[in-house]
Amino acid sequence: MNWERLIQIDRRIIFLAMGLGIIIPMLFPMEMPVGAQRVTRSLFKTIDEIDGQEQCLMISSDYTPQTEPECHPMSLALMRHAFTRRIPVLLNALYVEGAPLLASGIEDVMEEFNSRATTHEDSIIYGRDVVYLGWQPPPIVPILAMGESIAGIYPDDYYGNRTDSLEVMQRIRNYDEVGIVVAITGLSAPLWYVMFAQTKYGVKVGAGCTAVCAPDFYPYCGTGQISGMMAGMKGAAEYEELVEETFQTGGRRKATEGMVAQSAAHLVIMGFVILGNIAYFASRRQA
Amino acid sequence: MNLSTDIWVWVGVVLTFCIYSFLYRDNPLYRFGEHLFVGVSNAFTLSFMIHRIIIPVMWRPFAQACQVAGSDGVSVDLFNPIAPANFLVIIPGLVGCLYFTRFIPRMTWMVRIPIGMFMGYYTGRTVPAYFEGSVFPQMRGTLVTQAVFDPAQGGGVMSGLFAVLVLLGVIGTLAYFYFSKEHRGPLKWGAQVGIVFVMVGFGASFGFTVMARVSLAIGRFIFLMRDWLGIVT
Repeated sequence: MNWERLIQIDRRIIFLAMGLGIIIPMLFPMEMPVGAQRVTRSLFKTIDEIDGQEQCLMISSDYTPQTEPECHPMSLALMRHAFTRRIPVLLNALYVEGAPLLASGIEDVMEEFNSRATTHEDSIIYGRDVVYLGWQPPPIVPILAMGESIAGIYPDDYYGNRTDSLEVMQRIRNYDEVGIVVAITGLSAPLWYVMFAQTKYGVKVGAGCTAVCAPDFYPYCGTGQISGMMAGMKGAAEYEELVEETFQTGGRRKATEGMVAQSAAHLVIMGFVILGNIAYFASRRQA
Repeated sequence: MNLSTDIWVWVGVVLTFCIYSFLYRDNPLYRFGEHLFVGVSNAFTLSFMIHRIIIPVMWRPFAQACQVAGSDGVSVDLFNPIAPANFLVIIPGLVGCLYFTRFIPRMTWMVRIPIGMFMGYYTGRTVPAYFEGSVFPQMRGTLVTQAVFDPAQGGGVMSGLFAVLVLLGVIGTLAYFYFSKEHRGPLKWGAQVGIVFVMVGFGASFGFTVMARVSLAIGRFIFLMRDWLGIVT
């Protein structure tokens, strides 16, 4: 057998195989169990224990369109969890390109809940249940300043309203009223919150990150500095499952939809890695 | 099949294909998509910065202060940095404008002022925070104490074993990256243990990276098959 030819396989064939590995499971969807990891359960539990009358959930995002497939479902799942538990949600964006993405996510989840609501109390009202603070550069400044006054560093929200005029902001002043900050990121935002906000103000920090970043955050989960984490699309799918299992919120589960394709693509890659290694050692033997 | 009639979905599809055409080979369509992305990102950031930051945070308080000074005269209140109308906000704005002195050869040196302030602020903020929030807690987390074996304190046999494993990994990895002495004797054995942990770490990172890249491809394929072609629900 000509093993050399197999080693020098055209990369476009690999791309084609990967494409098919993703497309075929999407055309023939099937259910796939997503077992939640300890770190994801821990994040879920921490948020679930927030007293909505006293504190809020803060979602801080720095994801951009490039990392949207992994990170956006995390934001949606967190909002569904908080809205179901009637925990107020404050959101901010640490990078400008992601700011409109987060706004569209808020609108989608609000619409999802409001389409089922029967009373004003059941509804999700902007200003009462959720506030989008928008973007304020550079990241370190709002992270530090929110410890003193959230409305101070975000005088206007994303939509141009005076932040201190919004209903929920009357009782949320700074990190004292934030149950946990979940930083959803393709970079290092959870560590910035740990280093600048947690050390100084003692706020709990959670992470939702792209899979690439996940290994950086596991040690902080080990020491308890990060209360819990969603790692990549798999982590988002786990959180979606936990929310769905516990509350049956419904709604589209974007991360869970991709998990079968994710597994199939991994099998394709593993196949190529094994094949490549067999070909390599066989060709060495032939030589 | 339920083909989208939304013009913006079609724009997204065309640009997706422009970028993915690189998988075949570099070509003008790919370069068009790439340049468009860079241009749009910059324009978006700039306009967002002007309308959401410069105008409300700097220009509005300064303009209000000018208005108040014009009608009531200049007072001490107009120099309160946290007041809604104040003159002081213009100072960081002017310092920031010194970045543009780069374009004037005789005044290029002035660019060092904002850069120096920026670096000084970040270094001052970051170095202590890094030690306090990262180095010391992580060192503490590496220590093997009696508590990690004690079920009464949330520990146990397994957590104790993991703690020992982590300690072994840290010492081994540090030994591997210790280059001031030749790797012989105990240092050699330490380094050999360290390389195993380093390789496992690289493997985990690579696996996570693959997962991340595949996730991005899945996101695009869901867009193409659901939002554009309407062949999946």
